[in-house]
Amino acid sequence: MQENKSQYRLEMSGISKSFGVVSVLKNVNLKIKHGEIHALLGENGAGKSTLMKILSGVHQKDTGKVVLNGEEINPKNTHDGQVLGINVVYQELSLVNDLSVAENIYLHKLGASKFWMNWKEITQNAQKLIDSLGFKIDASATVRDLSIVQKQVVEIAKALSEDTKVLVLDEPTTVFDPQDAQKLFDNLNRLKNEGVSIIYISHHLEEIFKIADTITVLRDGVDTGTLAVAETNPDDVIKLMIGRELKDMFPKRKAVVSDVPVLEIKDLAGKDNLVHNVSFSVKPGEVLGIAGLGGSGRTEMAKLIFGAEKKKSGTIILNGKEVKTNSPVDAVALEIGFVSEDRKEEGVFLPLSIRKNISVTSFDAISNRFGFLDIKKEFSNVLNLIGKLNIKTPNSEVDVKNLSGGNQQKVALAKWLSIDSKVIFIDEPTRGVDVGAKVEIYNLINEVVKKGVGVVVISSDMPEIMGIADRILVMHQGTIYGELSKEQFSEENILRYSIGKPLKQNIQLN
Amino acid sequence: MALTLKEQLSSPKGWLKFLIKYNTVFIFILLVIFSAVISDVFFTSVNLSNLLKQVSGIGVISIGMLLVILTGGIDLSVGSMVALLAVIFAIFINLFALPLAILLTVVLGFALGSVSGYLVAFQKMAPFIATLALMTVARGMAFIYSKGSPITFSTKGGLFMSNFANNTTLGIPNIAIVFFLIVICAMVLLRYNVFGRLIIAMGSNEEASRLSGINVKKYKFLVYAISGALAAIAAIIVASRTNLGSPNMGMAWELDAIAAVVIGGASLNGGKGTAINTLMGVLILGLIGNILNLLNVPSYPQQVVKGGIIIFAVLLQRFENK
Repeated sequence: MQENKSQYRLEMSGISKSFGVVSVLKNVNLKIKHGEIHALLGENGAGKSTLMKILSGVHQKDTGKVVLNGEEINPKNTHDGQVLGINVVYQELSLVNDLSVAENIYLHKLGASKFWMNWKEITQNAQKLIDSLGFKIDASATVRDLSIVQKQVVEIAKALSEDTKVLVLDEPTTVFDPQDAQKLFDNLNRLKNEGVSIIYISHHLEEIFKIADTITVLRDGVDTGTLAVAETNPDDVIKLMIGRELKDMFPKRKAVVSDVPVLEIKDLAGKDNLVHNVSFSVKPGEVLGIAGLGGSGRTEMAKLIFGAEKKKSGTIILNGKEVKTNSPVDAVALEIGFVSEDRKEEGVFLPLSIRKNISVTSFDAISNRFGFLDIKKEFSNVLNLIGKLNIKTPNSEVDVKNLSGGNQQKVALAKWLSIDSKVIFIDEPTRGVDVGAKVEIYNLINEVVKKGVGVVVISSDMPEIMGIADRILVMHQGTIYGELSKEQFSEENILRYSIGKPLKQNIQLN
Repeated sequence: MALTLKEQLSSPKGWLKFLIKYNTVFIFILLVIFSAVISDVFFTSVNLSNLLKQVSGIGVISIGMLLVILTGGIDLSVGSMVALLAVIFAIFINLFALPLAILLTVVLGFALGSVSGYLVAFQKMAPFIATLALMTVARGMAFIYSKGSPITFSTKGGLFMSNFANNTTLGIPNIAIVFFLIVICAMVLLRYNVFGRLIIAMGSNEEASRLSGINVKKYKFLVYAISGALAAIAAIIVASRTNLGSPNMGMAWELDAIAAVVIGGASLNGGKGTAINTLMGVLILGLIGNILNLLNVPSYPQQVVKGGIIIFAVLLQRFENK
């Protein structure tokens, strides 16, 4: 290895890239030091992912220079990148479901090894690697059987199984609860101290300010500046990201909360017992927050009420009348809505147009009794919603797969906003959505609530849930551990309930 | 996107895109031109009407196959169902009045398709396996009920059907008219009806469909049942053409139907495909057979050419997604 004099491990300078006529990156510079956590920020579509794909060899740059350890590099594919010590953990998990954890971690090396595999050694090494990260996963388990959190950990372990010099993490904590995220941060700090350069992409500013040393902000394919974390604050960073000042992240709403609940749940339990003894009620015109760690049963609870999973017991009372939701068909007929946390797999129809996506819940309104569609009416409904939700698209016939994450999420919401609802469950309303679109989604929720709908928001994003909920139920190990009223909202209180501990001054609870 | 046709065609790249988008239609037109140039007999009314008669049966089951494939499934049983239902129709027509024989055959087709539908939708069996089993069962039953030999129509009703199937209206074979009507129904269903919209939605993302409150099981069940009913119509068509029902009918037709749907640009993953393109797929397959017959190419090389065309068509479609 040649000694390099530059203080930077990685220098990307004057990088430009176009896809067809669309210019994605314009003369971007990015410099990363040894042992530094460098945050890369920007709204969806700002060019972060493209820049990282050029670094790792997925895309080739049009112009510019990439220098690693003082030498110019030009990776032609991800294998080249890996050989150079550049490893990327992508947002979309890229694991092989039918192989074991260990096989996945060493997948890229399996082909190159000797004819006979030493499975024992491979499994042991993988186990050591995972243990060193502080997570409990059996290296011989099949990936299919892991939770999404565990899969993300395996993905990270995979990147670290190499001699990594530059580690890129794209939104690694979206599926993590605060505890798991903290574990990841500890690991990143350890790696940083070992001299690894880390590029960290995230929409979570709190995270960035917690762990990053330096921030580079991209906007519309241009880098708008590099800042030292110690010398800046979130407001300035947001200003750089969206090019304007964001006055109110969580807009106020004036909804009248009625006293009579619209939905009451009594002693709900799932067949698999992941959820048990759940009782609560939602009032018309309120936003009820559901917090809790990943795996605490939040999503399962919503799916039980929606009829998407099998119930063991429980009573559901809608507007004072007992109802049965044995399937989502029943729930939708009762005007209960559900927006999934997994947008791509469960929320939208990626290959279908915006129009066909939105209409899928509203056929009753746009078809006659023989099922023939009133296409004119359909168009006017859909165009109206596209305008109202500010979905950025040239027209209603664009396939949803071509939209950004934020706009896809708006389409997923539009499906339920186009019909009358009494209660809507929204699971992770803004996961992977940029700041600008977040505010628009909060505004939408406010508007729905104003109409007297009861909205239940499940979220791992603490500032979000505290910003929009009227009260928060915290789940712990499959049941509701405690309720927080607006005055009690704090990250500490949510966390304490999440891990099954009482609040610090909880005289009023006894 | 919002480009007009004129704008699209204004650049060489636009032309290419246009060609790729409507590749099925272009392959069809090319084949027609090629056939007309290479053979004097091709554009005679006798040949064209023969061609249409030949494809009508497979065409009808291809439409059923399209509906099944749109949901992400497959129906391997249709070829054998044609044999069984043709035999049954021949038995019925010799026993009952014609309208009743037709009605009973179609109802039976619907019922047999419902068996696949039940296994796939409610027992969560893989469509390939469920319909593979039905395929064997149907073929076996065809031989059992016919005792291994063809059953000839022997009533007035049979004579009427035979005349109907071999005659033309305004120059178009009657059975081709039946096929075209079914294509038009499917087109309308897929474009302007909730049922069509739902099966496309199911095929493109089943879980999202379920969580949107769509009764996924019901519609899955229905497409297989409809495929069975269409197999019955195809059986009536082929039996009437030859005046008999034989257990050897519809041999490997399920494969031709799948080929036609795929040449028509449908995705076996579901969610993508149209009735008009499936019609093109059926005609392309028929044309290849027809022109090779006119050129006196024996049937084995014909199979090789057919396979080649399938590969070519699917390769072309890959550009469409880029």
